[in-house]
Amino acid sequence: MSTTVQQIREAVGRTGEARERVRQHRSTDAVIAALAQAAKNWLDPSSPWRKRAVERAPAATGFSEAMVSEAVDLTFGAITRESLGELLDGELGDERTGPRLIVHFLAGNVPVPGIASICRGLLLRSANLVKVSSRDPVFPALFVESLREVDAELADCVAVLDWRRDEVALTRAALERAQAVIAYGDDDTISALQRLVPRSAKFFGYGHGISFAVVGKEAMTEENLPQLAQAAAFDASVYDQQGCMSPHVFYVEEGGQLGPRKFAAALAEAMAAYQARVPRGKLSVEEAAQIAKLRGAYEFRAASDKSVGIWASEAGNDWLVIYEDEPMFTPSCLNRVVFVKPIERLESVLPLVRRFASNLSTVGVAPMNKRAAAFAAELIKMGVPRVCPIGQMQRPALNGRTA
Amino acid sequence: MDKTAVELQQRILALMARGVAQATADEEFDRLARDVFAFQHQWCAPYRAYCERLKLAPQTVVHWKEIPAVPTSAFKGFALACFPEAEAVAEFHTSGTTRESTGRHYLRTLELYEAAIVPNFAAHLLPDKARMPMMILMPSPQEAPHSSLSHMMGVVMREFGADGSAYYVERGELLIEKLVRDLSEAQQDGQPVFLLGTAFAFVHLFDHLAQQNLKFEFSPGSRAMETGGFKGRSREVSKVDLYGLFERFLGIPKARVVNEYGMTELSTQFYDATMRTGRRTDLKTVPPWARVLVIDPTSGREAAENEAGLIRVFDLANVWSMMCVQTEDLGVSRAGETGFEVLGRAAGAEVRGCSLNAESFVVE
Repeated sequence: MSTTVQQIREAVGRTGEARERVRQHRSTDAVIAALAQAAKNWLDPSSPWRKRAVERAPAATGFSEAMVSEAVDLTFGAITRESLGELLDGELGDERTGPRLIVHFLAGNVPVPGIASICRGLLLRSANLVKVSSRDPVFPALFVESLREVDAELADCVAVLDWRRDEVALTRAALERAQAVIAYGDDDTISALQRLVPRSAKFFGYGHGISFAVVGKEAMTEENLPQLAQAAAFDASVYDQQGCMSPHVFYVEEGGQLGPRKFAAALAEAMAAYQARVPRGKLSVEEAAQIAKLRGAYEFRAASDKSVGIWASEAGNDWLVIYEDEPMFTPSCLNRVVFVKPIERLESVLPLVRRFASNLSTVGVAPMNKRAAAFAAELIKMGVPRVCPIGQMQRPALNGRTA
Repeated sequence: MDKTAVELQQRILALMARGVAQATADEEFDRLARDVFAFQHQWCAPYRAYCERLKLAPQTVVHWKEIPAVPTSAFKGFALACFPEAEAVAEFHTSGTTRESTGRHYLRTLELYEAAIVPNFAAHLLPDKARMPMMILMPSPQEAPHSSLSHMMGVVMREFGADGSAYYVERGELLIEKLVRDLSEAQQDGQPVFLLGTAFAFVHLFDHLAQQNLKFEFSPGSRAMETGGFKGRSREVSKVDLYGLFERFLGIPKARVVNEYGMTELSTQFYDATMRTGRRTDLKTVPPWARVLVIDPTSGREAAENEAGLIRVFDLANVWSMMCVQTEDLGVSRAGETGFEVLGRAAGAEVRGCSLNAESFVVE
């Protein structure tokens, strides 16, 4: 069933009327309370909302049911009264001057950014037209439904629609009366959209990014390693590594009680444990071929070069850990494929990633000690938007802007 | 030369001499393949190490399908030869994309290599035994001594090319004016043409003809061989569209355009059986001295018919290098048909979330 220009205009009208009502009858605190309650209603293990997401989301997202359930926890667990308060950061205006209509273009299968975007718009008591991603048509619509149960009038301020990216006439119709546009996607998608946005509207584009993590030598102790590896495996495995906060490489500092190779082995074990609990989704043949290609190349090298290590799931291609001395940053083919590389000192990482600092999303660090803080400051100076402890990479603040 | 190897080479040459049409029984292929495996296991140390890692050896492999396949990427980091590379009579390099190092295929002798080229080419492009000038949209072997494709063109031109055959790429440039001039001349003389080139060279030609508002209508014996992907070198054109352009600009129907699938790391090429069978098909013939398996990338086992997977080639003509090569290309075998279809390079897997991946991550 495809969307029409007529439907889009109706949605703009409907959400605009709802917005007027909400502005008269809702304080910001009331909006925060409603959103927090709606989010909370997802978190119970037997929540009907969670159940619906688990039933409906795997097909489009490609995630396993357990992964969808994990995504529910990560997404709605992050929406609290406190975090919603931080979302009112003034960037889009305050609750008095918020845009009349915000149009959101969502992308990809990771639900957090889209849900946060909707919350942002509602906090400003704007009307919100949401074009969902074909990779996740489920979460935004279900969230608005769950909000309707708490506050129907507030939920009426959001219309969730879908149309194909190449249906430019529909995109234009959606943008006609926009005062603000929030767009997620790859660089091409964002710049194509930006060209269609009326001059009078504010435009916020969020492109794709890439992440990695660094382990300091203090963390490499017998006692600490299992817990560290578990945290690292969580960061690398969640969303099957499709999120921009998913690490591709773990750089491990030499000179600790245990060497970097030990980290790789422990990470592999933890990846296997996570896989047993939250299986990776089914891959396309192209995705599986990328993993097979990489694995073949490293298996062949590892046979003759003892410095190369490779750990793989027993059957199939559920996850892969590759250890090599070559420190160059190696982007992963995703789907739970990670590289572990030794570095001499924490700072050795800086020249390796400086060239693409503008593409970086998150750097995970362990342990968060004084040395790591100085290192984090260097990363932030370089333009890295977010540095956080390993294990927290997939738990950004709702406003996405924590250093 | 090692005695075993000489004897192996003789057996393979004898098999090739029987021609493309004569299928090999599985038993015969199996005997030869496992003998080649034993030879390569003995003489190529990195391959032996890989086999040991996979816990496979000539003593334990009971069927050719179990022989360990070498990933094409291994040709980049290792000299995969079963003789001292210094004694190589030729050395072919992969073109590769930027950022990648070069893979090398060392040849001990040209005898086997050329014996694999000649009958196969004849069967698929000259089933009518025609002799005509070849217009080759590639550099000559003199200009590109490390290109396996140019070498192959040199061989087929020597064997089958009539007077007037020529290469139309010099210093990396397609000699478009000369080509158009020669094409016009052939049309005026009512001569059929035989064009051979990479897909992107043909796209370049068609773009030029479109721009100049030129069209040819060559006589019925005309034909073309196109090969290779695009590797980001020109605008990409789907195979269906490309074949439409042959018809539109040259008057060569798609039943007379043959796709060649080959790679630097192999000695044997695979062609669409289109001209050989007289009907347009994407199915490639596997000559009797080779086997092709389509491998499910998840399980590592043979994919079911009609299911896409990675193409694995067993090429006996590679006796001095690596017989069993795991390519990075996707292919499919069809129920009830022999041969296989090539679906293209296993690249460009779609990003589903918001992370860049190895394909989309480009550092300027």
